Amino acid sequence: MFACIYISDFPVEAIVRSEPSLRERAMAVLDGKPPLVRVIALNEKSRQLGLEIGMTKLQAAAFAETSSSGDSIIDLLILHQRSPDQELSAHAALLDVAHAFTPRVEDTAPDTLLLDLAGLDRLYGAPVKMAGELAARVTAVGIDANIAVAANPDAAMYAARGFSGATVIPAGSEAQRLGVLPVQVLLDAFKISSQKKTNSKMSQRESVKLREQMLDTLERWGVRDFRTLALLPEHALASRLGEAGAQLRQLARGEGMRTLALCEPLAQFAEAMELESPVETIESLSFVLNRLLEQLCARLEVRALAAHELRLRLQLEHRVADEETTTVEQLCSADSHNVVPTPLFECTLRLPVAMRDIKVFLKLLQLELAAHPPGAPVVKVWLSAEPAPPRSAQRGLFLPVTPEAERLEITLARISAIVGERRAGIARLLDSHRRGSFQLDRFTAAAEEGEQKPSLTMSDTSSHAPLALRMIRPARPLQVHLTSGRPDTLASEKLIDRIELAGKVLWSAGPWRSSGDWWTEKTEPENDATADHSSPWDREEWDVAVSYTDKNSSDAKTDNVALYRIYRDIATGRWFADAAYD
Amino acid sequence: MSSVAILPSVSSSRPTSGQRAQIEAALGERFAATLLLRERAAPVTVPIGIAALDALTGGLPRGALSEIVGPPSSGHTGVMLAALAGATRRQEVCALVDASDSFDPASAATAGVNLERLLWVRCKQTESTFKRNAGGMKSRPPAFAFGGALEQVLKVTDLLLQSGGFGMVVLDLGDIPMESARRVPLTSWFRFRRAVEPTATVLLLLEQGPCAKTCASLVLQLQAEAIFASSAAGFSDPVKAKSVSHIVGHKHSGIQVPEINNVGHAALLRGIGFHAQVMRSWAQHKPPQSAGANFNLRPAL
Repeated sequence: MFACIYISDFPVEAIVRSEPSLRERAMAVLDGKPPLVRVIALNEKSRQLGLEIGMTKLQAAAFAETSSSGDSIIDLLILHQRSPDQELSAHAALLDVAHAFTPRVEDTAPDTLLLDLAGLDRLYGAPVKMAGELAARVTAVGIDANIAVAANPDAAMYAARGFSGATVIPAGSEAQRLGVLPVQVLLDAFKISSQKKTNSKMSQRESVKLREQMLDTLERWGVRDFRTLALLPEHALASRLGEAGAQLRQLARGEGMRTLALCEPLAQFAEAMELESPVETIESLSFVLNRLLEQLCARLEVRALAAHELRLRLQLEHRVADEETTTVEQLCSADSHNVVPTPLFECTLRLPVAMRDIKVFLKLLQLELAAHPPGAPVVKVWLSAEPAPPRSAQRGLFLPVTPEAERLEITLARISAIVGERRAGIARLLDSHRRGSFQLDRFTAAAEEGEQKPSLTMSDTSSHAPLALRMIRPARPLQVHLTSGRPDTLASEKLIDRIELAGKVLWSAGPWRSSGDWWTEKTEPENDATADHSSPWDREEWDVAVSYTDKNSSDAKTDNVALYRIYRDIATGRWFADAAYD
Repeated sequence: MSSVAILPSVSSSRPTSGQRAQIEAALGERFAATLLLRERAAPVTVPIGIAALDALTGGLPRGALSEIVGPPSSGHTGVMLAALAGATRRQEVCALVDASDSFDPASAATAGVNLERLLWVRCKQTESTFKRNAGGMKSRPPAFAFGGALEQVLKVTDLLLQSGGFGMVVLDLGDIPMESARRVPLTSWFRFRRAVEPTATVLLLLEQGPCAKTCASLVLQLQAEAIFASSAAGFSDPVKAKSVSHIVGHKHSGIQVPEINNVGHAALLRGIGFHAQVMRSWAQHKPPQSAGANFNLRPAL
């Protein structure tokens, strides 16, 4: 058995898939370069209004005004520009559904897919159930399509093009069921098959002409449906219409049998939407992104995949070149139209784990756009996902709870918005003798593999824990008074956020010489112990115990002792405090 | 017209079982378990990682806010790293909200902290937090004198507690002046406490003075007591240098400080001795003043 998925009024359906609210309204899709913009597709409601394919935009609008029943219906008719990107997305979504159903799929046309259902009855059941299941999956990706199941692919195709909804033609009854279909359905499909064979512009024009001639001839003969054509004698038909006539007769009897030209499943997941008016705020853009994410995630779900990377591309509004800033030569040049090249905004979200949560994706995109706004109104949106197998985590009953990956990603994005970019993550020590060499990596809460180390218990605790350092970033400049070559008193600039680092040195240990990276060029003065700068350092370190007066405590003034690590930069002779022992 | 239950007369002494039954019968419809004493279960605790402190406090309670207070060089950073080392060793994911960007990854690694399981958030001071509305007028003064670091700490802590899944969340306000830290509204600490109560997260607060008041289930005060130093007899005898460890010198502000060795021999910092005292505990609201313990921290050499 074979199945056919056919989308009638494909350009209309591609647009309605992105904007479901338009489904209940009369809609006409326009295409062409002005002033030759014509109607290329209609939905049923617009046909009921009397519109026809081939009308110009003005004719369609004027026809809609004059054919009203007294009430204004101009608001009921929507004239929408054709969107090739949305048609591509709709076709890709349809292919995803088909490949998830069966691996043998033929990409017959942008609006037509043929599926080989051999061997699937054990999985899905009878052909009626298969048709229902297929229809449900197509609806799940936001497409309204006709489904037909028959014993040969051509019969299934004609049934899908001729009958709406889901149709099942039992083997042997193709001629009977297809007999009521008009001959136009047969000739439309026949045009498609001849295009596939030759695939050249000249032959396309010829096939259109041939189709019109055949239709005219058949109408003059009184042949208007499949049944009548099937009753004509084969040899007489062939002698009048040639080989094409014989083929048409065979197809009208439902006797066509051919092998499918199989296609590979797409590896790309992308959705696009062209906006009728530029969107200026992130809140408004969020509605568009939500819709695209829903479509994208539905396609990923059909293929049992998740996404580990999202790429967003925004086409920004054209700006007319400012005459004050544009030179006369530029304005007068032949290829300048007073417009700047189409500006694009791109951003990429790399996720720590593959996920498929629409809310998480939307929140991350909103946070990213808030941190890096596009800078201009948006007229077109592309969204693509890099597919990956969904993660599977086996949680143990006795393992400690870890943050959920999806919530953690949003939390980290919000934290970055508060403290700044690259100020939250995992500290990774660098292999360097420079004090405080580390880099901040992205934080992930992935569970460690391997043997679980035993937990620390009360009996395992140590009585001598290591003494820790509290870094002073950036290192604080000091004025140091020396006595016999040793620090005697310290003084530093008063800072409102820090305890005043000034006082008598009660005890000192040192100096210890430390230097490195002498082979690199000096880039900046060594006064920042934040990261591993590639600049040479040469310093003399001391551990000092300083007596200071704590003016911030509640007990008026108290004398305390604190232990600091200070150093003298050999090159400049300046003193700094870069850490405290605590 | 509401009915009022007429309670039987109860003597000033402890009610008997019969009287108790009468009271519960009369009020049972309105109040369930009228005279049932509800005892709060003792919280689950985790070890700090220092034997003396664990024996003193019983460990850090889960689902509660704990404070470790003390002036600079009082050892609270070493205690924090010991607690984080234990938590990461238990394969818990931890978070450190660093108000002053003072965390040293090398010290943490030496203390046994698994840095792969520690989210380090480096808050930074910003310009004045005055906000201007469309009219260009200043709307309100900054909440904290030195900029937005404390505001960042509070916001980030909110996000981390809402996200959940962290075994330990540490707020390091050790370098923030006490007068600034105390400006944090009590409602913030109360909110944090309520946020961790139903979870197994240990919320640990490091600061120079207690700020959370009754919101903290444990308040541990640290104070340095002695600085240990050794003098080396020469670089030719490093073993002897390491084995010599003594306290000499004088007391300053209650802390034993070694004498400065002016002979020219190299001096080495061998460690700092601390005294810890429980100011408030989930077990005892007012622990006795004698409840204290001493412990030492040594630099890793």
